[in-house]
Amino acid sequence: MAQSFPYTYYACDCFDSNTTTSTKRASQVVAAAAATEDEEQTFDPQNPRSNYALYPLEHLLYCEDCQQIRCPRCVLEETLNWYCPSCLFEVPSSVVKSDGNRCTRNCFNCPICISPLVVNLLENADADQGTPDRHILICPYCHWSTLETGVEFEKHTGVYAQLARIANGGKHIPTSKERDKERERRKELEARQRDSKNPLSPSSETAAVETEAREPPSRDDLFSNLAAFYKSQLEAQTPANPFSPGEMNFSSPSAYSRIMNLYSTNTAKKQKRVKPTPMREAASELEGLVIYDPASDSAAIERIKRDGWNSTLSPTQKLAQTNPHLQFADELRPIPTLLCTKRSKRCRSCRHILSKPESKITSTRYKIKLLALNHIPRLSIRALPPTNPPIPSIPGGSTASQPQPFNYNTLRSGIPTHFLLHLSNPLFDPIRVTLATSSTTPGKVQSRVTILCPQFDVGANTDVWDDALSSSPAPMARRSTINAETGQIEAGKIWDKGRNWTSVAIEVVPGFLADLKNVSGEEDGLDEDDDLLEIPIFVRLEFEADVHAEERGLSDSRGSKAERESREQAFWTVVGAGRIAGR
Amino acid sequence: MATGSERKPPASLSRSTRGTTPRLADLGESPRTPRTPLLRSISSTFGSPGGSFRTEDEYLVIELGSRFVRGGFPGESAPRCTLSFGPDEQRRVGDYRPCEPEYVHKRRKTKRAQAWAHEYELYRTDLSRVDLGLVEDKFERAMREAYAKYFLLDTKPRRILLAMPPRMPHPLMSTVLDVLFTSFQTPSITLVSNPVLVAAAAGLRSALVVDIGWAETVVTAVCEYREVLERRSVRAGKLLSEEMASLLNAQLDRDAAPGATKADVSFEEADEVLTRVGWCKSVPRSNRRTLYFPAREAPVLEEFEDAVESPPPTITIPFPKHTPPTELSVPFASLAKPTENALFAPELTLSEFDDEDLPLHHLIYRALVQLPIDVRRLCMARIVITGGVSNLPGLKARILKEVEALAQTKGWDPVKSYGKASARREDKLRNQCEDREMRKQEGEDTVAPSLDPNTAPNQIPPAAFQQPEEDAIDNKFAQLAVRNGPPPASLVGGTIRGVETLGAWAGASLVAQQRIKGIVEIERDRYLRDGLQGATREKEVSVVAQRQSMGPGLAVKGGERASWTLGVWA
Repeated sequence: MAQSFPYTYYACDCFDSNTTTSTKRASQVVAAAAATEDEEQTFDPQNPRSNYALYPLEHLLYCEDCQQIRCPRCVLEETLNWYCPSCLFEVPSSVVKSDGNRCTRNCFNCPICISPLVVNLLENADADQGTPDRHILICPYCHWSTLETGVEFEKHTGVYAQLARIANGGKHIPTSKERDKERERRKELEARQRDSKNPLSPSSETAAVETEAREPPSRDDLFSNLAAFYKSQLEAQTPANPFSPGEMNFSSPSAYSRIMNLYSTNTAKKQKRVKPTPMREAASELEGLVIYDPASDSAAIERIKRDGWNSTLSPTQKLAQTNPHLQFADELRPIPTLLCTKRSKRCRSCRHILSKPESKITSTRYKIKLLALNHIPRLSIRALPPTNPPIPSIPGGSTASQPQPFNYNTLRSGIPTHFLLHLSNPLFDPIRVTLATSSTTPGKVQSRVTILCPQFDVGANTDVWDDALSSSPAPMARRSTINAETGQIEAGKIWDKGRNWTSVAIEVVPGFLADLKNVSGEEDGLDEDDDLLEIPIFVRLEFEADVHAEERGLSDSRGSKAERESREQAFWTVVGAGRIAGR
Repeated sequence: MATGSERKPPASLSRSTRGTTPRLADLGESPRTPRTPLLRSISSTFGSPGGSFRTEDEYLVIELGSRFVRGGFPGESAPRCTLSFGPDEQRRVGDYRPCEPEYVHKRRKTKRAQAWAHEYELYRTDLSRVDLGLVEDKFERAMREAYAKYFLLDTKPRRILLAMPPRMPHPLMSTVLDVLFTSFQTPSITLVSNPVLVAAAAGLRSALVVDIGWAETVVTAVCEYREVLERRSVRAGKLLSEEMASLLNAQLDRDAAPGATKADVSFEEADEVLTRVGWCKSVPRSNRRTLYFPAREAPVLEEFEDAVESPPPTITIPFPKHTPPTELSVPFASLAKPTENALFAPELTLSEFDDEDLPLHHLIYRALVQLPIDVRRLCMARIVITGGVSNLPGLKARILKEVEALAQTKGWDPVKSYGKASARREDKLRNQCEDREMRKQEGEDTVAPSLDPNTAPNQIPPAAFQQPEEDAIDNKFAQLAVRNGPPPASLVGGTIRGVETLGAWAGASLVAQQRIKGIVEIERDRYLRDGLQGATREKEVSVVAQRQSMGPGLAVKGGERASWTLGVWA
């Protein structure tokens, strides 16, 4: 994994428990047999599904009411406010949608790379002669600029509004109102032409329309043409039927009279008799019908032939555009910065708020933040410098004698390696921990894993001073764990222990990659990440806590302090210990 | 530390009164918490008709594809986001490997024993090898990204208009619906099938929708917004990118130093090459057997030769992930070959194809032949080519030309070569052709029929060749129809013609913008209660019939249907 070794992932429960009944129903249809055995299985970090269930501890929240870990999947999010991450301007919720969730000020991202663009002033040679300044957007990283697409701005502010009016190449983009007007004008023109000519000769008519040489309409034009066409068609039908679910406005007098007509019997009957003509198809480009024209395609082919690879766009660049149907680099538009939100999170099952940031944009503080970090012991792993060969003269001598850092990326197959599992307790109560793992790791490369001390206690997270002040016995020497005679680590004993932490040793014999290669008979029988040494560990905690700490606080806060209940908690973790070196 | 202080009990005091039991159940009607009911029914006919006639709720428009999910708002011409399902989208949280500097220079190892580009798919319709849980995970994550990053919605519930291919296995459907209903709390989902939306986005009511998708090409005849016929072929995007990969591999191997390992182009690279510089010869090569027509009579089939350019143009494609990183010069002409091989397969004869891998033009032609004649008349003039692959420049023109050529040579007779019938057909075609030729000549040089030695001077030509008598009243009606009825351009039929469309998503956006009620409308409560089993067996629930028989009071009930159906998905 890209996280540097060693790392720990925590599995959220929702992985198995949150599936709704019907999915289970459905999956049973497909794999009825497999479903039954699922309960007892070891968590498999190689399973592609595990990618969706594993999270670093820092990403998890904790619901105190459900007493469960909450991952991003099992929380509900509510947006508190919207803001632009680039200029930190808070956008009112009313305009968020209409602006396309984009910043409408000066924030743009480069369409080639994604770095933020800056507004630059073009050199103005004859400024004294009264020519206005011209501005462009330029990318400080890859030096793409709007000059390449032929877009310049008059002012250095309000770039978004200016850009909305300029097409690539400097032409004017009509607004939607202008578009509507233009459409009406051309429709009338067409209708007049049709009237003047013989209506039965469509050939002359189409010829007449095509005489005005226009460039093909853009997708936006087409879409608005279609939308207008459908709207007019639907409107033509609705008067016959006031209950159609189409657009109805009861405030307008015409609609009102239509409803009143319903109750006066005569007209209603008359209206019913009128058979509504079926909605017709679009007949012209103004209504959204575009006959396929091979000319644009052949132009595109010629263009690829001429300009080659660099004039085209990569899929990611296309998808980042607001209109993803582009092909060539000169069609690129600067990408307005996507807005960000501040969101509060609620537990999906009990709806309690788990985290709520302060609403001020510039503040990074939280009003409520229930982190798993404060409720779940942190499990970490690190390599124990090799104790073999043991040096008998210094019994615990493996600590400082080897300055060379352990290389997690080259674990050697077949050689037992020792790691330390370190468990620190954030709770105010001492916990009893039971660790469990399968003796071999799941996956193709099977490594043997032994936790030398699977059951141990971890002290409470008391005040730091308690530890220092109390005349506790000297910390348990780790030399007691290592058998003085053999130099082996003794099983059943913890390695080290502190105020609220305990570490135990774990022995791993990394599996062989070579076997697999031979079996498959090919050079490369392994998938990506198959050579990872990831150990699934089941962690179970038992501790005594105050009964409903928060409830007691309300009702009978005094006196019942002694009331304790035992709780337990269990979850899977996956510990990434390193990468097994190939030959 | 701030986190430490927030852990103290007082922070949670206020929340404690509400009890600890999970309360998903009392979302709907809890006596304690006053909420506005979702659908308030007006008690009697005397109630004033409020806003409930209108479908007030706002919609989200989502199109589900096997490799992409598109989402956005109605009334917009392009989706707000197009999310893919590559391996980078499937990483664990906190796995920042794609940000490593050397990541772009490394080719990912593909999973062995897996079909080509398997890990880039959301689902496949062969469910025997699909982990539905994984589909759910992927879809959920994509939708979560869409909601959190692109939609940025407030808490108001939104209905969803979901555009889906018309053949979806039910387990897959319920997986998708589950995610939308449970994780995103949608009050209702309207399902509309892709071909209908594609036709709507082209401004048509009837169309032959050719959707060249990822796993298969689906040819659907839509007549009056209804699917009437469907044919499929596996010649589609997946095969195409595989062909492209093999072409690139061959080229890389040719250029490589001897002894180098075999090139293994990843799907990403092949796909990028395909979308950037892939193209298609818009005119077929000339090896067509011009069996029935001599060349001068069928101008479409004229011999076509590529204009030979010297030197032949090449395209330089960088391969930063290859070892060692290299730049490959590929002849421009060869970049059209994968399309040729994958979609048209000109080298093979028709008998070599199985039913599921027909070349596209044969597939379209067959679909057309099998249509009833009047539907065919509409559909052949409204061939709408859509789907991801259709963006390849030249492809649409090629398909249309091929289909036209097929129709010319074969006619619209469903019986092809069948013993004696074939010979008769040939005769018939030849006769037809000669007739046409003859009439043309007659028209050109006005040779009086009486001079023709073969025909008797007073012989009346057979009825089929006579000019129909002109009827003044008919003419008048025709004139009227043109003036008052739909314009003649919308009634075109009988010729092969391609129509552009804006795609299924834009169609869904249009439909949702007009607030058109769908046939398949699934309410959340009902779905969560019964699942897909709750749907009635009938394929059609009429919207119209309910609409007519009600007064204002009943109209509200009409919005809430007694039963729901799965329509084409049933």
